[in-house]
Amino acid sequence: MTSDARLSHTAAMILQAIQAGHIYGFSVMQMTGLPSGTVYPAMRRLERDGLILSKWEQQSIADAEQRPPRKYYRLTRTGRVTLEAAYERYPLIEKMIPTPEVERA
Amino acid sequence: MSRHRLTGAPLARINVRAASLLVPRSERSNWIAEWTAELHHLCHAPQDEVAESQHGDPLHFSLGAFHDAFWIRYDRLRANGLYRVRSGSATRCMLILVTAAFAAFLICLALPSAHNALLLLPQHRSADLVIISGNGYAGTQAPSIALSDYEEWTTDTANLFTQIAFYRPTTKPVYVAHHDSMPLSVAQASDNFLELLDLPWAHAVMPASKPGEPRLVLSRTAWRTLYHSDPHLVGRNADVGGRPVLIAAIIPDDDWRLPGKIDAVLLEDQSDLGALPSRTRGFVIARIRNSAFPPPRGGWRKMVETRDKVTRGFDCISVSHLRGQPPFVFLFSLLLASLALPATTALPLGDLPRRHDHLPGIVNARRWIFLLVKFALIILIVDLCSTDLSYGLYSSDPIRALYIQLSTAFPALLFGFRWILQDQRKRCPECLRLLSSPARVGQASCNFLSWNGTELFCVQGHGLLHIPELPTSWFSTQRWLCLDSSWRGLFPDSCSPSPGML
Repeated sequence: MTSDARLSHTAAMILQAIQAGHIYGFSVMQMTGLPSGTVYPAMRRLERDGLILSKWEQQSIADAEQRPPRKYYRLTRTGRVTLEAAYERYPLIEKMIPTPEVERA
Repeated sequence: MSRHRLTGAPLARINVRAASLLVPRSERSNWIAEWTAELHHLCHAPQDEVAESQHGDPLHFSLGAFHDAFWIRYDRLRANGLYRVRSGSATRCMLILVTAAFAAFLICLALPSAHNALLLLPQHRSADLVIISGNGYAGTQAPSIALSDYEEWTTDTANLFTQIAFYRPTTKPVYVAHHDSMPLSVAQASDNFLELLDLPWAHAVMPASKPGEPRLVLSRTAWRTLYHSDPHLVGRNADVGGRPVLIAAIIPDDDWRLPGKIDAVLLEDQSDLGALPSRTRGFVIARIRNSAFPPPRGGWRKMVETRDKVTRGFDCISVSHLRGQPPFVFLFSLLLASLALPATTALPLGDLPRRHDHLPGIVNARRWIFLLVKFALIILIVDLCSTDLSYGLYSSDPIRALYIQLSTAFPALLFGFRWILQDQRKRCPECLRLLSSPARVGQASCNFLSWNGTELFCVQGHGLLHIPELPTSWFSTQRWLCLDSSWRGLFPDSCSPSPGML
């Protein structure tokens, strides 16, 4: 997937939520207001297209909190460039889901 | 944590497990782990974290698992080639045609008369078997020979026929229990009828009957319906039309290939037949003596001088020739449709530019193979469907069935061929998908110098098709314009679609 690929609004919101630090599927749902049936399939396709990457958290962390390990997502370099390009198309996204840096500023 | 969330958790887990069945096995454990962990988080997260969310209900959350699992399965199927079956593709067209042919074939198998007509199962020793008719081909479908004529021929035609037999279809009540009778289509036949037909089962040892006692040979269907497939029926006596008869054999339904719909054959000796009125009409079949005449292909006419010195003609029609009519009729329909096709639609498939010649040979070959396979499948479908229809409706009247087949096969083949050509013209020559988005281009011109027509494009970006509104000497047929790969980005299906990407 090239960085000039056009993102749908939903995909841009999900990428922005992950960029903003909402790295779990449920957190993305909470932040974007999208249902689980939209968020998870979209994240799988974003991952297939190389815009995000998933990893399982360490078992020790999960054990310490007495819960099963969760899968978290982060943006790839292509994902970041694509999201930057999407800001021109969807300028409000950055304001709707601000990143911690923007919030601090 | 909310009590409501905890109570909904078990059902949500069941939902996740059920949805996981859609996920490919290799990915299932990871998928279940992710959804279970998310569900656990939802159920055990602090109230203030989840309260803001509209999706705090575990049951509602778990329903999304079905959606997720479905899309995973769908993507895998697409990756494995299912995408070829999408709307307008050549694969989809082939699948529809093959399914139609298969359905027609199944119907044909279910209708014994249809599959007999289609497969033309060879009748044992039918080459020298003739049916004698007093009324040409029409006489092979309805009784046309008087019993008195048959009796005369049994002695007079020894130099022409080795054997000659008589039968007449009739309906007789068969008593299966006390005061319980059922009407049955019975062929009242001369005693040598089975020997003459020389069917394989006719050689089976039949139980001996008392002198003068008729023998009844039942069809398998009649055996099932009347006697509930009684395995000990052969050798027992039955009452047919008030006369005691011996049940001699049970024969397969397919073995009856002679005119008339018959459930049973009643074999009577010459004296019993002689008791019938001499004008009783029936069918006469015979085996011709090869040393006297070579077996005729269609038939020949036999002139007979009757006792009252009147010469009458009878047709001896070969049974194998009669049975060869259905394929002949279909081939005739095929010929008619092929001749009529140029009068109903243009035959050219459109102009392809020179650049098209640079396409790999396999692409060009695939296009022609696709066209030929479509023709073959349409011919097969029409043959099967017309046979199903005609022989399904008129199983007992083969001549009428032939007319029905002719009148249905011809228009069906003609419309089928027209559709094939029109469909082929509206497909991309490269990927064979149907072209889409027709758009009117240009304006009608009074002096015919400016072009106007319809333009369609291939969704994979292989090119554009221009169809002129009014054929001119410089633009008579549709023309295909190839596009190079730099245009592909503009077309929706030129790259793999994704719900995340537009």
